[in-house]
Amino acid sequence: MNKEAPLSIAERDFILNALREDVRLDGRQADQFRPLNVSFGEEYGHVKVQLGKTSLIVRISSEVTKPHDDRPFDGIFTIALELTAMGSPAWENGRQGDLETYVSNVLDRVIRHSNALDTESLCVLKGVSCWNVRADVHITDYDGNLIDAACIGVMAGLQHFRRPDAVVKDGQVIVYGVDERVPVALNITHKPLSVTFHTFDEGKRVIVDATRKEEQASEADVVMGLNNAGDVCYLSKFSGSPVSAMVFVNKSSVALEKVKEINGIIDKALQADLAKRAKGGLMEESRATNDR
Amino acid sequence: MASPLILLPGDEVPSEYLPSSNSAPLRLGAGLRLLSQPSAISPSHVISATQPGLLSTDNKRNAVSILSTPNRRYVPTPGDLVIAQIHHSSPDYFHCMITPQAPQALLGQLSFEGATKKTRPMLKQGDLVYARVLSTGLGAGAEVELTCVNPATGRADGGLGPLTGGMVFDVSTGLAARLIKASSSSGEQQDGVAGLVVLDELGKKLEKAGGFEIAVGRNGKVWVDCANGGDYAVKATVAIGRCLSTIDEHELSSTDQRKLVTRILRDMKIES
Repeated sequence: MNKEAPLSIAERDFILNALREDVRLDGRQADQFRPLNVSFGEEYGHVKVQLGKTSLIVRISSEVTKPHDDRPFDGIFTIALELTAMGSPAWENGRQGDLETYVSNVLDRVIRHSNALDTESLCVLKGVSCWNVRADVHITDYDGNLIDAACIGVMAGLQHFRRPDAVVKDGQVIVYGVDERVPVALNITHKPLSVTFHTFDEGKRVIVDATRKEEQASEADVVMGLNNAGDVCYLSKFSGSPVSAMVFVNKSSVALEKVKEINGIIDKALQADLAKRAKGGLMEESRATNDR
Repeated sequence: MASPLILLPGDEVPSEYLPSSNSAPLRLGAGLRLLSQPSAISPSHVISATQPGLLSTDNKRNAVSILSTPNRRYVPTPGDLVIAQIHHSSPDYFHCMITPQAPQALLGQLSFEGATKKTRPMLKQGDLVYARVLSTGLGAGAEVELTCVNPATGRADGGLGPLTGGMVFDVSTGLAARLIKASSSSGEQQDGVAGLVVLDELGKKLEKAGGFEIAVGRNGKVWVDCANGGDYAVKATVAIGRCLSTIDEHELSSTDQRKLVTRILRDMKIES
């Protein structure tokens, strides 16, 4: 029972025939994303992402722990993603499917291994204590393109999150509560995002942001991870039929354009949230100057 | 006619809301269940709702059913029209999926119009059929049985049978029920039946593009085909799908539905 519903023959044929005429089921262009909405919750690092009908919630949290023995100067950053029955009836709780491993792996590579979060800045006291930042991704509805949506969520969360301030005094680590000292933003080195392409018709038709039905009808997928500067930090093609190398070359400019566009949306949402918090927030209270 | 009545699961249907004619037997539709026959204790039927929704009565057909809210879950009820997908076949039955993650339903190899052992349709995995729910069984492990013929006449009424070509769109079960209601009852009404004018409007506008064929399954699937559409076939099909899913997402009034149809057809560059 825990299987994605297979497409019927009629649906598969129709999606392919429509793409041959450059028509997608929701009337989008081949390189157009679905409407993206990023919103933030009450607390820092609580993000809701809605990409078409795919929606997820990312929660960033932090705690002080002991660093790994082999890396005494580094903090710890983990991304936890679990596909639960909450997201789709095709997923079962506690059983890891292929999709879950795949998405977790891509997230790890695009965000963690590209050092988007500077883990050295998470060190509090060498070899004794550091911050452990954890990103939990909860999928609440699934209609394709989980990878890009999850990437958007985690990156927006990292930029939104504020960890409590901690200082070292006489070899003792003191962590101040969020109401004692203004919490500190994380040190983000760059903002990588992934763009997933799906290919049809022996690699002749390439689309971005596929829905679940389009994903199922496709032959192969290609994931690119880039940042605003156009540095490619991740590129993968795990399975499916072969794709010509020129597709990668041609589509990387599309991917860059999309990454800039999405980063723009995230920045706008962050600024709007910041402006909302600035009114009557802790920042206001703790400022030395007053209106007079 | 009394005011509209909203029922919650477990609520009894008041007898004054039931169709009054006694000539034909009362037909119960989706979302209702007969709890007890008339007896010495209670003089009338006790019928209770199994789903939340608006009670709708059809005096002409002496039928009563629940117009459910736009939810996603479909519970098979005998008499429902559904679009099922063949999963695999065994010597006697085709095993079909009505909803993907639910147990499969059975469709007899011979329950097609004019089917004999030699002329029965050869359906393979992934084919679609338009079928009627024959029985749902009782108790645990009960199997849902489908049929593509009217058991009384042996004919495939209302286009039952295999669906070839076209495209299937997913809608909520509530919208599917409204679509069926709108298409089954004739008679021109200004606001359409069940508040839906979209199909009439699309029919008018797409007449020039060859018209379209549509089959609505109560399980929230709508099959659309524009076989005569020529160059417009794909675009017209996509346009119909987009209209339906937009109406499903935002409850639109009849004027908004008309506007939506015009906008989407223009967007898809279809002449009307």
